[in-house]
Amino acid sequence: MTEVLDPWPFVWAAYALGAGGTLALVGWCWQAMLRAERRRDRLREK
Amino acid sequence: MHRFANPARFLRLARPLTPWLLVPGLVIAGAALAWGLFVAPADRLQGDSVRIVYIHVPAAWLGMAGWMAIAAASLAEIVWRHPLASVAARAAAVPGAFYTALCLLSGSLWGRPAWGSWWVWDGRLTSMLVLLFLYLGYLALADAAAREGGGASRVAAIFGLVGAVNIPIIHYSVLWWNSLHQPPSIGLGHSAMAPQFLVPLLAATLGFTLIFAALVLMRMRLLLADAQSEARLRRKAFGGSVPA
Amino acid sequence: MSAIKPRHQRLVLAGFALAALVAAGLLAAWALRSQASFFYLPADMAAHPSAPDREVRLGGMVERGSLHQLADGVTVRFIVTDGRARIPVRFSGIRPALFVEGSGVVAEGRRAGDGTFMADNLLAKHDEHYVPREMKDMTADQARKTVAATK
Repeated sequence: MTEVLDPWPFVWAAYALGAGGTLALVGWCWQAMLRAERRRDRLREK
Repeated sequence: MHRFANPARFLRLARPLTPWLLVPGLVIAGAALAWGLFVAPADRLQGDSVRIVYIHVPAAWLGMAGWMAIAAASLAEIVWRHPLASVAARAAAVPGAFYTALCLLSGSLWGRPAWGSWWVWDGRLTSMLVLLFLYLGYLALADAAAREGGGASRVAAIFGLVGAVNIPIIHYSVLWWNSLHQPPSIGLGHSAMAPQFLVPLLAATLGFTLIFAALVLMRMRLLLADAQSEARLRRKAFGGSVPA
Repeated sequence: MSAIKPRHQRLVLAGFALAALVAAGLLAAWALRSQASFFYLPADMAAHPSAPDREVRLGGMVERGSLHQLADGVTVRFIVTDGRARIPVRFSGIRPALFVEGSGVVAEGRRAGDGTFMADNLLAKHDEHYVPREMKDMTADQARKTVAATK
């Protein structure tokens, strides 16, 4: 008996993690960076 | 060497460079992944599960490159005491840890159809898991050191250098020890991979590397902005007199 | 220019520390080479047979023409070879999709008294060669040559 396995669910899961994770990380780092730079600029103006 | 010691000078360069790395990186990586999913051929033996390579190999490369960046910046911090070096080392840790985790997860998703197992305690897989724990330890240590201030970041830098020992172990694990993981397909000047796989793989690696560089710049700008904000707040609290 | 000297000293010290660390890591890895291996090769097993009830892994190539299905329909026997020794293996159960003759395998199980390896589990091990499915009618060697010629 040889196992019959559809590879596509594994492929989709890996791509969802890779692309989704990268986009989420980029979005999170961008947001955090903008927030920190805005806070610094606000403090500078005062 | 100390040309970028001044954060203002670094920020003048980093601010336009961030989108210039990020946007091409996203375009190239997106195109390479779409190519890998829909255009690239299936493998003769592995079939369609081979497509996971276009996620797995860039993630493995960046997980290891991230620690090499931490080690290089740590060396610069210890030897030249460059003020941006510790910022650069800390900035590489979060994206490095993410791509190491992605390498392990995508490898697990590949191992199930290709080997018949989600996980095995093989030299390559174990040394990569050790790398993830090194990242988590480094993040905790560097965070604590930053709160402590002063010379505490030296401890994190030493940890960054020591941890680099794991990188050649990961690379050579499949050559030294009998391993379930296959040996590297691509080396200097040779490839055991048909060009139909190699071209999208190199494109995906390039795209993810550009994204990684942009992520490091974003983290550096965040850390610098936080440091500047805190310095300003401290100056205000001391009523204009700058404490040493 | 007085800053050069201590900086130079730190560079040398850090360089020595790093070299010592890498050497220590490589030595440890070298010392671990038998413990850290995921499986034994047929030649290892032929030279130092494991105790009959010890769980071990045996890895190598499935010899071409050696794979036979037994009458019960779930048991197969085949020969694992590394070019130096050949070990007969018996396995009942579901085989991974990539388990084929002429390809790599890692069998988990134990050595029986008669020298046969009784496997509880099979893992397919594939090599570093990637060849498009369009070339599947070629033998592995032909495909490898085609890849080498087109790269």
